[in-house]
Amino acid sequence: MEVWNYLEALIPQLLLVLFALLMPACDYIFKDKRVLSVLALAPLVGIAVAEISWIFLDLWTPPASMISLIEVTPFSGLFMLVFVSVGIVVVLGSPEFIKSDRNHGEYYSLILLAITGMTIVAEATDLIALFVGLEIAGISSFALSGFRKSEKRSAEAATKYFIVGGFSSAMTLFGISILYGVAGTTSIQGIFAALSNPPSPQWVLDADPITMLAAVLLLAGFGFKIAAVPFHMWAPDVYEGAPTPVSGLLAAASKKMGFAALFKVFLVGLIVSKFQWEEAAAVLAILTMTVGNLIAVSQTNMKRMLAYSSIAQAGYILIVLPVGTQYAVAGGLFHIITHAFMKSGAFMVVAAMGAVAIGEKLDDFKGLGRRSPWLAFAMTLFLLSLAGIPPLAGFASKFVLFSSAVYASFTPGAEWLVWLAIAGVLNSALSLYYYARVIKYMYMEKGPVEKISLTPMLKIAVAIAAIMVVVIGLYPDAVVHACEHAASGAFPGLPGGFG
Amino acid sequence: MFEGIPMISIIILLPLIGSVITFLLGKRESYAKYVALGFSAAALVLSVLLALSFAIEPSRSSTGFHEGDHFFDFQFYEKYEWISSLGISYTVGLDGISLPLFVLTTLLCFLSILFSWDTKLRPKEYFGLMQVLEVGVLGVFVSLDYFVFYVFWEIVLIPMYFMIGVWGGPKKDYAAIKFFIYTHIASLAILISIMAMYFESGVGTFDMEQIARAAGTEFGRTFQIAIFAAMFFGFGVKVPMVPFHTWLPDAHVEAPTAGSVLLAGLLLKMGGYGIIRVAIPTLPVGAHELVYVMAIIAIVSILYGAILCLAQKDLKKMVAYSSISHMGFVLLGYATFTQIGVVAGVFQMFAHGLVTAVLFMMCGVVQHKCGTRLIPSLGGLSKKMPIAATMMTVGFLASLGLPGLVSFAAEFMVLVSMFETWALWLFLPIISVAITAAYYLWALQRSMFGPLTDKIDTTHLRDVDWYEGVPVGVLLFLIAIFGVFPMIIIQVIEPAVGIVTALFGGG
Repeated sequence: MEVWNYLEALIPQLLLVLFALLMPACDYIFKDKRVLSVLALAPLVGIAVAEISWIFLDLWTPPASMISLIEVTPFSGLFMLVFVSVGIVVVLGSPEFIKSDRNHGEYYSLILLAITGMTIVAEATDLIALFVGLEIAGISSFALSGFRKSEKRSAEAATKYFIVGGFSSAMTLFGISILYGVAGTTSIQGIFAALSNPPSPQWVLDADPITMLAAVLLLAGFGFKIAAVPFHMWAPDVYEGAPTPVSGLLAAASKKMGFAALFKVFLVGLIVSKFQWEEAAAVLAILTMTVGNLIAVSQTNMKRMLAYSSIAQAGYILIVLPVGTQYAVAGGLFHIITHAFMKSGAFMVVAAMGAVAIGEKLDDFKGLGRRSPWLAFAMTLFLLSLAGIPPLAGFASKFVLFSSAVYASFTPGAEWLVWLAIAGVLNSALSLYYYARVIKYMYMEKGPVEKISLTPMLKIAVAIAAIMVVVIGLYPDAVVHACEHAASGAFPGLPGGFG
Repeated sequence: MFEGIPMISIIILLPLIGSVITFLLGKRESYAKYVALGFSAAALVLSVLLALSFAIEPSRSSTGFHEGDHFFDFQFYEKYEWISSLGISYTVGLDGISLPLFVLTTLLCFLSILFSWDTKLRPKEYFGLMQVLEVGVLGVFVSLDYFVFYVFWEIVLIPMYFMIGVWGGPKKDYAAIKFFIYTHIASLAILISIMAMYFESGVGTFDMEQIARAAGTEFGRTFQIAIFAAMFFGFGVKVPMVPFHTWLPDAHVEAPTAGSVLLAGLLLKMGGYGIIRVAIPTLPVGAHELVYVMAIIAIVSILYGAILCLAQKDLKKMVAYSSISHMGFVLLGYATFTQIGVVAGVFQMFAHGLVTAVLFMMCGVVQHKCGTRLIPSLGGLSKKMPIAATMMTVGFLASLGLPGLVSFAAEFMVLVSMFETWALWLFLPIISVAITAAYYLWALQRSMFGPLTDKIDTTHLRDVDWYEGVPVGVLLFLIAIFGVFPMIIIQVIEPAVGIVTALFGGG
């Protein structure tokens, strides 16, 4: 066994870190800062191409990991693809937005480091590796939110995010330490094995309450990451204060990292005690989607509105936990993928509006249909997709996600699961109100008439997201198939639940 | 005639291509109407040719419905894999129930585009959206896969939302968003029902026919009742049935004329079509258990809609409420579960599509020329606008069910079948016939005849323009033709309905 064999599985992370470290140096060398964004794109595009040619084109298979802390599976591959795709869109959308700021090198460096942390979470098989990944991503994101440190809003966002993030890390770590005490291992599979083969009936009685405590702590810790209600308070403030491309990164990628962790810990490690936490998770899901949508209705700042919409979308994805079938996980993965594109796209449109100094208020979108037809059209696509209107990607993924709950409810004793689907579709209808309102502002309200001109990179960023939203919507087959494959591979212990 | 040619897909693609070209016209906005008219004319011509080559076969009701490859008798059938991992295929076909509505769609879209000839506000977007709407409605009437059906069903909402919201009247914002959300919630009830049927049937496909065939053995009684109730609600909001009709007057009053024509002429038919294509044949037990609910809602809609019409001051609002009343006849026809009743219900949809289009177009003419539609401000218009007054009179007479015009045949058949099933309860819907005559004639008297009004400036009042007169003339011609020869349509509808009513042992 050579050293190389150990490193093989870590190539993507090594690549990302290498470029992240190069960035600040390049900042000194190149006067034209756009070179930096191209450099930052290089590893992201490389990884994206590698993942696509593996998962969708089946051209090669990555070597199995020799390190027991991580594994490379289609599940982790899909997540990694989500993270780097969002990274590409965000990096493309950044140069215009930060052109008047300093320290471009650090900015891109932090984005790459955050993505590195996320990919580690996606691949982790051990709670320690998972935690390290969460922290790498977390600390980079804190710094990113405070990137405009002289700006009050940005600094406030970073402080808030840092405190909440530290709090949630502490809870996560506490939960992990309890699980270690119960199971004697931090490996997720090991925890599952320990809980499913208890040494004696008395051990079960002793371990049960304390396992529940760990489950609650972990649910809260990860709940902060995905901004589930009631752990969501930080999200709107941070998304509003952070530079808009960074908000896109937080909403579309960082949140998804929380789901990767949740799925692994709850649907593998703690699946044995599912009957104990499933109802809590269901309540959390319904609460999250409803509160998110209700508050979003009254927002007048686009970034805050999108933040609450992200909270609601997290609620939809949360129904995967109580439903707990492979089909549900596939639906969750699918929605994570589509949400990454529609949400990052929507944030890039807002970033574009900010970059040309128009503003981020709902009122600023008045008459956008005349000022920039393509930008308004792309935003319409993103919003309708978020609301789940066919034939866009958001509809297809919600369809799979909600139908998994309907199907699971046919199992005797699990009839109540159908209410998750009903809550989901009712919430979709509610969300349509505030999404349609933005469209109304763009096309039906009179506003300023002077045209908006955008840089090519921003156009490409928005175009990539828009094209993906349409293409996945019209031809979801390949993605659905990949998600089903990933879900059944990563969660062999769950019931199938395919129709 | 069209062996091996995917005619249905071609007809759906034509307005889609047209809309893309229209949106891409850029600065040459004045060409938008020509592009739209050209593509919708092509779709109309092809769909008429398609209808002429439609083979009329004897009803299969005598031989039972479970034979052969298909649950229904579809012609021009097309099937392509779409999302194989979920068992979704792009499947389309036409039978006697959908064919009249399919041709009605291409006809009304073509005429509405012609009627909107002088649209000055953003013509590119206007005509583009109109064609997108045509794509959606056509798709609903032909799709035989639930997923595809739902996709088309929802596509219809977006152009209509914009048509009301951008080109609408003073309260357009409220009306547009109310329309969008109200009907979207109804759609979601359909969506959940589709998911439940997909899993319960266990066939692993969203194919309507396969699910309908599996329904007989797989769907229990409770399941059927629950899902039928959900579907009936979902489709019923579109029809619209009382008490879920409140979106309709708002949407109609604010929508531009062509929008109202398509809304009343086609979008309401989607609801009626969904019930007879999906809800009743797939869930016959559920339909049978809830037949009284259907009948009561139908009769309440007929009467309540008619009474509301009496109270309206706005000509267009009156026509909008009359749609609720007339669409109630469709539900009533279905609720009889007899061959003649269901045929009449489907026929009434076709008839109402033609008649209501005339009425809304005439309201548009009045609004356009006089600047108001309020009946008290009008009066004696026949002196200044003789052609318009004639057209409106014929339209009103057709709508109130004058024998020899198309609505009479349809409503008469509904009432006959109602008598066969529920005997003297017939007196309830009969009352509406009198009320209908009352509100139409009263409105006509106050707006068109009598002394010339002095509340508006009538010195420069012009009669109908050519682009308004031609569509109305064509529609009136068809109303008369199908009024005298209703068998042309009925013989097309009958075999397809026979398959549905065979499920109930009716004949």
